[in-house]
Amino acid sequence: MSPDDGSAIDLKNPLLAALLGWLIPGLGHLYQNRVFKGRLFLITILGTFLFGWWIGAGRVVYYEWGPTDKRLAFIGQAGIGVAAIPAFIQSRLLNGTGRQPLACSQWFAPPVRTRQYVSDAYARRLVTEEPAIVEEDFFDRQPLKQFRGDELAIWQFQLGRAFDIGTLYTMLAGMFNILVVFDAFAGPMGITAKEQKKLKTEKRSSAVAA
Amino acid sequence: MEFTTMVNGTFYCFAIISHLATLVDVVPGVFFGLPLLALASFVFAATHHEDDEAITLATIHWAVWIGGVLGLILAIVLLIGLF
Repeated sequence: MSPDDGSAIDLKNPLLAALLGWLIPGLGHLYQNRVFKGRLFLITILGTFLFGWWIGAGRVVYYEWGPTDKRLAFIGQAGIGVAAIPAFIQSRLLNGTGRQPLACSQWFAPPVRTRQYVSDAYARRLVTEEPAIVEEDFFDRQPLKQFRGDELAIWQFQLGRAFDIGTLYTMLAGMFNILVVFDAFAGPMGITAKEQKKLKTEKRSSAVAA
Repeated sequence: MEFTTMVNGTFYCFAIISHLATLVDVVPGVFFGLPLLALASFVFAATHHEDDEAITLATIHWAVWIGGVLGLILAIVLLIGLF
């Protein structure tokens, strides 16, 4: 709760600050008028996340939690809400009754796995946008299509090491943002409870002396 | 600066940025760890302090520690690799 000089920080509504900080790194600090730290977190953490996302061609951030395939990196990536929420929604939509992500967009959508059912519209979209996927890769299961390839394997083949580096950057950015969220919620942890108590006692005694 | 030099410079900058994904295969993996080391140091420092000066000093402190420990591990691994 106390900065380095011992004066109290106005955390405003800590829960709201934590929520804002989770959504976009640094936003919670900006809400608390801790502008210097807010800007730095925004640039460094969001920058690292975007760099990882970009180097991974926008395909490294997705949510997949099936019985056989689990995207463990998403646990870290979920530390940044602005990426975690769309990734979660896209996954639910792709595996839901509609069998297609929002607006058939591949943004934050998980890869289509072997024998997975997708809508006809999404199958056509994949054939159009993904050079490695052709119409023959889908079985016709009216009204759906069943994929017989593995989109994740295609991504990993196309991107090579960039897929892993992109995953690492986005994952670590998310994990570091958890620390930032705690900082927005409870203030910096540099000063221990013992030191805070000492500072309070000193302040009180100086006030009494004055 | 000559116009052509400027145009060429800009072109090469864009070319480098657009081919960064392919550069990933050329650049040694250890260099991709350096920005993460800096980020880790900064985040640890900034979540422990509030003043900008204290944050800067703590960032250096953490960077030296993390870099030192990782460097030591790297050196040990390299030494083991020699034998």
